[in-house]
Amino acid sequence: MERRKFLGLGLGAAAISLAPVSLMAKNYREALPDVWKIKNKDVENDLTGTNEAIKAIFGTDKTEEGKIKLKAPDIAENGAVVPVSFKTDKATRIALLQTANPEALVAIWDIPERGIPDYGVRIKMAKTGTVTVVAEIDGKLYRASKVVKVTAGGCGG
Amino acid sequence: MRIKAKEKDGIVSVKAGLKHPMLSYDQAKKKGEEANFIVYILGKVGDDIVYEASTSQFLSKNPFIKFKFKGKAGEELELSWVDLKGNKKSKKVKIK
Repeated sequence: MERRKFLGLGLGAAAISLAPVSLMAKNYREALPDVWKIKNKDVENDLTGTNEAIKAIFGTDKTEEGKIKLKAPDIAENGAVVPVSFKTDKATRIALLQTANPEALVAIWDIPERGIPDYGVRIKMAKTGTVTVVAEIDGKLYRASKVVKVTAGGCGG
Repeated sequence: MRIKAKEKDGIVSVKAGLKHPMLSYDQAKKKGEEANFIVYILGKVGDDIVYEASTSQFLSKNPFIKFKFKGKAGEELELSWVDLKGNKKSKKVKIK
């Protein structure tokens, strides 16, 4: 009995000492494999898929306006390369989504302690759609969106 | 992988171009190939994580990323990625 107790405690301690490591690095492809499969409805600028993915990542899709500066072109002549950048003073987690492709989610960032959430990427958009950035700031969710009109699709090859 | 990392006033600005076809499921179907794209990008200085992104098929071909973090010139930034099939690449650069 004593021995069993001791082993049990040992396992508990091992789990605790491992916890910070897994918090430090998180691959959301492994942690949340299903969020990447959430589909957009085939309706221009329909946010159903975007909101569903936000809920699956952050636990809620209730968001407030403000705190995020989002930059994306009004018109993209080449949907294969659409530059998107965003900036907030601070954040713990940020997600980028859109309504222009079969699935909604583009990327998730965990902002490390030394990180400054002033990021840019280039994304594919198969057609005109709404680009959305959601940031978790002090436990609250903020959202910024922009419609990007795509004149040539991004999934041609 | 091409990486530029420059420090000013304690803030390092990074621009990086990663080489990858980023073949989405739709694109792969048309080509009769298997989809494959970068799914995770990690930036580290020593043991510190300075950038961490989980990514999808919707980043453009040969992804270009920009990010900032707190750091100093002379430090070494290591950027690495892994794709859906488990291929990995990493590169180290000195922050200027």
